[in-house]
Amino acid sequence: MSNVMSDGLNRPVPFPAFVLDKICLGMPAKTYAKSLLTKTNAIYAAILAIGLPTLAYRYWKGMGAVSNLSQTNPWGIWVGINIICGIALAAGGYTVAATVYVFGLEQYRPILRPAILTGFLGYVCAISGLIVELGQPWRLPYQLFLTPGTTAVMFEVGMCAFAYLIVLGLEMLPAGLEWLGLARARRIMGTLTIGIVVLGITLSTLHQASLGAFFLMVPGKLHPLWYSPYLHVFFFISSISAGIGMIIFESTVSRRAFRDELDPEAPVDLDALQLGLAKGGAVVLFATFFIRLQGLVVSGRWDLLFTGWGAWFALELVGFILLPSLLFAFAVRTQSVTLTRAAAVMAVLGVVLNRINVSLIAYNWNVPASDRYVPSMGEIVLTILLLTCGVLAFRWIVNRMPVLREHPDWRGSH
Amino acid sequence: MTLNRRNLFRIAGAAGAATVAGRALSSAMTPGAPKTTANAVLVDTTRCVGCRACEAACSEANQLAEPEKPGDAAVFASRRRTGPTSFTVVNKSTEKSPNGEDRYAKMQCMHCVSPACASGCVVGALEKTPAGPVVYHAGQCIGCRYCMIACPFSVPKYEYAKAAPLVKKCTFCAERQGQGLPPACTEACPSGALLFGKRADLLEEARTRIYQNPTRYTHEIYGEDEAGGTSWLYLSDVPFTSLALPGEIEKRSYPELAEGALSAVPLVATLWPPLLMGLYTFSKRRHDVAEEGNGRKGDGHE
Amino acid sequence: MHANDLLSPHATKAIEYVLAVSYLLLFIPFWRFVNGATAAESLAFSWFQVPANVHLHRGHSWAKTFGGAVAVGLDDFAHKMIGPLDSVQFPAVGSALRQGQKAFSVVADGKSFDVLSPVDGNVVALNEFVRAHPSDAVRDPYGTGWLLKVEPRWLTANLKNLVSGDGARRFLDAAAQVLAGRMSPELGIVLQDGGTPVHGIAREIDPANWDSLVRTSLKGE
Repeated sequence: MSNVMSDGLNRPVPFPAFVLDKICLGMPAKTYAKSLLTKTNAIYAAILAIGLPTLAYRYWKGMGAVSNLSQTNPWGIWVGINIICGIALAAGGYTVAATVYVFGLEQYRPILRPAILTGFLGYVCAISGLIVELGQPWRLPYQLFLTPGTTAVMFEVGMCAFAYLIVLGLEMLPAGLEWLGLARARRIMGTLTIGIVVLGITLSTLHQASLGAFFLMVPGKLHPLWYSPYLHVFFFISSISAGIGMIIFESTVSRRAFRDELDPEAPVDLDALQLGLAKGGAVVLFATFFIRLQGLVVSGRWDLLFTGWGAWFALELVGFILLPSLLFAFAVRTQSVTLTRAAAVMAVLGVVLNRINVSLIAYNWNVPASDRYVPSMGEIVLTILLLTCGVLAFRWIVNRMPVLREHPDWRGSH
Repeated sequence: MTLNRRNLFRIAGAAGAATVAGRALSSAMTPGAPKTTANAVLVDTTRCVGCRACEAACSEANQLAEPEKPGDAAVFASRRRTGPTSFTVVNKSTEKSPNGEDRYAKMQCMHCVSPACASGCVVGALEKTPAGPVVYHAGQCIGCRYCMIACPFSVPKYEYAKAAPLVKKCTFCAERQGQGLPPACTEACPSGALLFGKRADLLEEARTRIYQNPTRYTHEIYGEDEAGGTSWLYLSDVPFTSLALPGEIEKRSYPELAEGALSAVPLVATLWPPLLMGLYTFSKRRHDVAEEGNGRKGDGHE
Repeated sequence: MHANDLLSPHATKAIEYVLAVSYLLLFIPFWRFVNGATAAESLAFSWFQVPANVHLHRGHSWAKTFGGAVAVGLDDFAHKMIGPLDSVQFPAVGSALRQGQKAFSVVADGKSFDVLSPVDGNVVALNEFVRAHPSDAVRDPYGTGWLLKVEPRWLTANLKNLVSGDGARRFLDAAAQVLAGRMSPELGIVLQDGGTPVHGIAREIDPANWDSLVRTSLKGE
C-alpha cells in the first residue's frame, strides 16, 4: 500500500502531509493552532484541565475516593445520567434513519448525518461513562468473550449496544470515506445502507427498552408511581420523543455554530424539517402520556397522587410529557419554529427527568434521608468531562467531514 | 438456652443430621438448585440470645476482620447491616417478645432459590449451586453492581475503597459444605437457634414447631415464599421487620419480573426486520410511482 | 404486591378499558389538529402565484420537470418586482449551466439583472416567443412564460436544494414580508386591504435604488 493519498482534486499527496492537511483543516499547522484560541475553547480547556486529573485520580484511588456511591446506593449519576440518559438522547440516530429510509421521507436527508453522528457520539459517551463507573472496567469484554450471563438484562443491553455501536460506525463510515477520498469503499458501503438501517432500528428498540427493564426487578426499591411492569415499554417510547427533541435542538445549535460548514449552494429548509419533526413529537408524546396513565391505572395506587411524590409525578407527567405534546401540536398548527424549539427542549428535559427519577430519585425513595444519594463533586466533574468530550468530538468531525454538507464528488449519491 | 441433657441431645441430633446432610451432597453442578434437596438453615429467633458467636465464627472462617464491639451490647443501639468485611450481623428487635424478652436475628445472604443477583449478573459471576449456596466467582466480576440493585434484601456489598474492587457477601460456607461440614455460624451457635439441613426438611421442622407451639411463634415462616423461596428460613414471635428483615418482599421469584421484557427480545429481533423492510418497500414503491408521474425514471440514488 | 389496594381487579380493568377508549377517541381530533395547518393565512398566496409542481430557487428562478427535461424561468415574485421587461439575454443552446450560477439575464428600464440557474445541465431550447415579446412573460410566468429548456445533470440532488409546495409558500411569504415592511404607508394600506401589488414593485418602493433591491433578491440573500 503506497503512502500516497489523493486530495479532493485527485492529486497525489504524500501521506504525512495528507494527515496534517486533514486535521488542520487545510491550514498550516501554526495557523490552525492559533485559530483554536477562542473564548469557548478556553471554557473547554478549563473543563479538561479539571476533569482529566479527576479521571486519573478515580482510577488511581478507586471510585470510593471520587464518588458518593455507597452500599445503599450502588448506582449514581454515572449510570443515571451518562448511560441511561445518554443512550436515550442518542436515539435521534435511529428515529431519523427510520424517517428517511424506512418511511421514505427524503426531505429529512440533510439532517440524517448529523443525527447519526449525535447518536454515535452519544453511545461513545455512554460507554465511556461505563468505563468510569465499572469497578473493573478492563473486564468489560468478559460478557462477550468469556462468561456471558445470558439471563441478565444487562447482557442484552451490552450486546445490543455493542452491536449498535458497530452499526452506527458503519452508518458514519460513508462520511469518513468521502472525507478521505476512498471512492471504491464508499461505493460498496452505499449498497449496504438499508440493511444496516433496519438492523440499527431493531437493535435500538431492544436496548432502549432494556434500559427500563433493569428496574423491573426492584419493585420494593422504586416508588410505586414510577414502578411498572411496563417500564421497558415506557423507556422505548420515551426514547423516540427524546430523539426527536434532541435532533431539533442539535440542528438548531449546529446551524448557528457551524455556519461555515453549510453549503451556500444547498440551503436546507430547516424550519420545515423541524416542523415535520414536531408533528412526530406531538403524536408520540400524546401517546406517551396516555400509556403512562395506563401504567398508573394498572398499579392501582391513585392514593399516592395526593402525596409529595404524587405532585412530583404529576409534574413529570403533565408538565414534561403532556405539555410539550400540546406545545408541539400548537407549533405545527401555527407553523411556529420558535415554539417547536421550546417544546423540543421540554421534551428532552422530560425524558431526562423521567430517567433520573427512575434511577436516582424515586429509586430508594423509602430509605432514610441520611442514606439518600447525592452526587459528589468528583462525579459531577467526570460527568461534565465526558459530555464535553462528546461535544468536542462532534465539533471536530463536523468541521472536517461532509456531515452538514455534501461532499462535492458525491452529490446526490446518498 | 440452658445446657441440660435434653438440649444436649437436641444439639447433637442437629449436628449429626447436618453432618449427614452435608455428606450427601450431589457432585453434579446443574444450574439452579431444586427446592427440596438443597441445603438451608432454619433460624429460630426465639432461641437466639444475641451472643454473636456466629459473627465471630464467620469472620474467622472467612479470614475477615473481627466483628465490631465484641461482647458489647451497645452494638445493638442502631440498626446494623452487613458490609464488605462483615458477612453476617446480628440485629436486636425493636420490639420485645410477648413474654417480655429481647429478640435477635442474624442477617446474611438469603441464598434464594431463584436469586435475582444470579439472574441479573452480566458475566454470570453469581451462581446458584445445586447444593444451595449462591457463590461468587470473583475472577469474572466486572463490577457493574447490578446484583446490589437487584437483590431485594440488599445483601451484596462492594469494596469501593479498593483499586480492583469485588462484591462481598456470605458464601454459605460453600467450601466447608463441599467438605461435608456445616456453615461455620451454625456450628458455633450455642443456643440451637441455627439448624442446618435440607430445605424441605427444615420447612417441615418449622411447620412442626408452629403446630406444636401455636402460641409461641407467629404463624409464618419468613423465607418460605419470600422472593420465591430462600434458603435461610426464620421463625419468630415478633414482627420480622422489627428484626431488620426486609418487609416488602415479593412472594414470587424476582427473575420472573424481568421475564416479560426478556422474552420479548427474540420476538422483536425476529419481527422488526420484516416489518421494517415491508414499510421500506411500500414507501419506496410510492416514491417510485410519484417519480414516474413526474416523467422521470427512478434515479437510483442510494 | 398490593397492586389493587383501593380497587378490585374488575374495577381496574374497567378503568383501563375506559382510558384506552378515551385515548382512541381523543386521538382522532388531536391528529386532525396537528395536521390542519391552513394555508389561507399566507400572504404570498394572495400576492403571488405559487403553482404546485414548480420548484423555486432562492434566487427566484424556477424549474419544472416534464419528461426528461426541465423548464426554467423567472418566478412571479421577481417579475412583479422588476416590472415590464425590455429584453431577455439568453445563453446559447448547448451551453452548460450550474446551479447557483448565472443562467440568463433580464433587462428592464435599461438595467440588466443576472438570474441564477436552479439546476445543473445543458441548455437545449430557448423560448423564442418570449425573446420576441419579453413583456408578455409575466402573464404566465410558470407556463408560457418559460425561458429555457434544460437537460438536467444532477436533477435529484438539485431538487433537494429547491423549495416547492409549502416550502415555496414559506419562502415567498418571507420575501413578501420584507416587501411589505419597506412599502410606503399609503401603498401599504392599499395592499393590506387585499389589493395585489403593482407591476414593478421595486420601482415603487425605492425609485432611486430599485435595481440594487432587485439584485439582492435575485442573489437569494
